[in-house]
Amino acid sequence: MGSLTISNVTKTFGSTEVLKGINIDIADGEFLILVGPSGCGKSTLMNTIAGLEDVSSGQLLLANEDVTDRSPKDRDIAMVFQSYALYPTMNVARNISFGLEMRGVPKAERDRKVEEVSTLLQINHLLDRKPSQLSGGQRQRVAMGRALARSPRVYLFDEPLSNLDAKLRVEMRTEIKKLHKRLGTTIVYVTHDQIEAMTLADRIAVMKDGLVQQLGTPNEIYDDPANQFVAGFMGSPPMNFVPCEVAEDGSIAIRNRGAVVSLKVPQSDHLKGQDVRKVILGLRPEMITEPKPERSGEWIVNMTMDFDVTEPMGADTIAIGEWNDVEVLARLSPEAGLSAGENTSVQVDLSKACLFDPKSGERVR
Amino acid sequence: MAIGRIGIYALLLAFAAVYLMPLYVMVMTSLKDIEEIRQGNLLSLPESPTFYAWVKAWGSACTGSECEGLAPFFFNSIRIVVPAVLISTLIGALNGYVLAKWKFRGSELLFGALLFGCFIPFQVILLPMARLLATLGLANTVTGLVLVHVIYGIAFTTLFFRNFYVSVPNELVKAAQLDGANFFQIFRHIFLPISVPIFTVTIIWQFTQIWNDFLFGVVYSGPGTQPITVALNNLVNTSVGGKEYNVDMAAALIAALPTLVVYVLAGKYFVRGLTAGAVKG
Ligand SMILES: Nc1ncnc2c1ncn2[C@@H]1O[C@H](COP(=O)(O)OP(=O)(O)OP(=O)(O)O)[C@@H](O)[C@H]1O
Ligand SMILES: [Mg+2]
Repeated sequence: MGSLTISNVTKTFGSTEVLKGINIDIADGEFLILVGPSGCGKSTLMNTIAGLEDVSSGQLLLANEDVTDRSPKDRDIAMVFQSYALYPTMNVARNISFGLEMRGVPKAERDRKVEEVSTLLQINHLLDRKPSQLSGGQRQRVAMGRALARSPRVYLFDEPLSNLDAKLRVEMRTEIKKLHKRLGTTIVYVTHDQIEAMTLADRIAVMKDGLVQQLGTPNEIYDDPANQFVAGFMGSPPMNFVPCEVAEDGSIAIRNRGAVVSLKVPQSDHLKGQDVRKVILGLRPEMITEPKPERSGEWIVNMTMDFDVTEPMGADTIAIGEWNDVEVLARLSPEAGLSAGENTSVQVDLSKACLFDPKSGERVR
Repeated sequence: MAIGRIGIYALLLAFAAVYLMPLYVMVMTSLKDIEEIRQGNLLSLPESPTFYAWVKAWGSACTGSECEGLAPFFFNSIRIVVPAVLISTLIGALNGYVLAKWKFRGSELLFGALLFGCFIPFQVILLPMARLLATLGLANTVTGLVLVHVIYGIAFTTLFFRNFYVSVPNELVKAAQLDGANFFQIFRHIFLPISVPIFTVTIIWQFTQIWNDFLFGVVYSGPGTQPITVALNNLVNTSVGGKEYNVDMAAALIAALPTLVVYVLAGKYFVRGLTAGAVKG
């Protein structure tokens, strides 16, 4: 009913190509998160899905019907705009119900919907106010309410929670998740918040410069990034990237201040026969921890590191050291009581280590 | 600081006095009788104020061969100005809405061409327009004058509305489109309610322009359709016996009054329009 197929969609403004061929298949009822650096074309893609911008080439299918040339109002899509776009002369209640009014929904039904949505979004005390009398976060929730009042085939949310305080954001995130469970409507959702992306998404599409870099489940994106860009974009603090030499036997060499350590990684066997001399080792900070004696295995290595700085973050402590002259972050448990200093014992888990080609940034497997 | 303030106010008062002086002289002269005017004291208050001149200017002064005062012409002007202002403003609002929010291939060019219309001097279109009105059978009619003023005014009204609507975020149109509103519904529900200030400005502008117009009025009107400006001119130029300055002044004031009234009334709505969103609609 609400499946969405984006096929080879490009969009050019004048001479700048903003979308360079987007292909995404979104299943009915799926929650798809779009992430990517500012200016990569997320909002533009949302606009083309909604029909507010014409595509330059390519095709859009909604429920297997070609809607590429259909007007926005006939696509049955509701959208929350990044800039809210509330109607300035209408009060909150009318802002929320305007879409229903235009679609000929009777007054009583509209009032019921306004009541329901405003309760969900905790804005029922604001119904008589004009947008200019609301705070940024309140406006954002009204914008959400306007979309939620309708029951479209697809919801498009462009950074709908970016202006809320931390507590409200968590609450709203949960509400959205529950709502999605309950309604089962297809959602495309743009966010810059990693936690939002990881917790809400069925799948995540990582975009850069108008191209989808990777499309996959949160775990695939996190554990098995397609390239160095995706690996560095998702995760906070970000993945460590260490340029390394590859030895004859496929192991990689790390200079930890003075001492050189040779590490065998899962890709080593495969690398052995190949003519790859330089790679970039990608290792998430949580893979470098205090020694945990109960853990052992082929890819668990115990070694020492010199930490220049430690940054307590509450749940864990980030310690900063150096491998091959680049900064490396380790994520330690505060209970381990490790502090900055030389020759600290750490345990490195290489089972999820990624290798990247230094030139192209693509994965070396 | 305080001295600077006093200086500024003194200067402003002086300027105001200079600007108001002619009005003062007109009002005073219109309230005097002709004997008192002959004594030549322009600035003095009338010794025994009389509305004789006003009554005559309104009802019985001669404007050429007939002597019915300005009254019939005043209503001619109303019949020309009201439809011309409303139609040109409404067309300007729709034009501006399209040119600002529904751009199409060549819309910028069209806007440029319309803008050019603001700079065409009246004289240039006198002859072609006369031909057009004759062809349409509208020569010497009120409808013809309304048409002329509407056509001439569209360039200005479109400019006003287009520039006002350009500053309205495109997302509002997009949101309304997704909400299922069509072209006219978006105009009616989203754009009209925010347009009070620009409507006020445009109406004041158009009203003043058309009410004060003399050239079109004198060229395209017939004996029964002359606007008040033309009648005023005729009144002043018709002298039966001696020149009655008090009647001339009263007539000029009558001709100018509606524009003043519009400024006062609409000025209030202007402020109201600006504050409506902030307080409560
Ligand atoms: N109407 C337009 N005309 C020209 N260029 C545009 C237009 N709209 C967007 N762009 C350009 O397209 C690029 C992508 O913009 P877009 O708004 O889609 O980015 P985004 O990924 O949503 O960024 P953000 O995370 O900051 O919201 C930007 O470089 C922007 O300047
Ligand atoms: Mg955006």
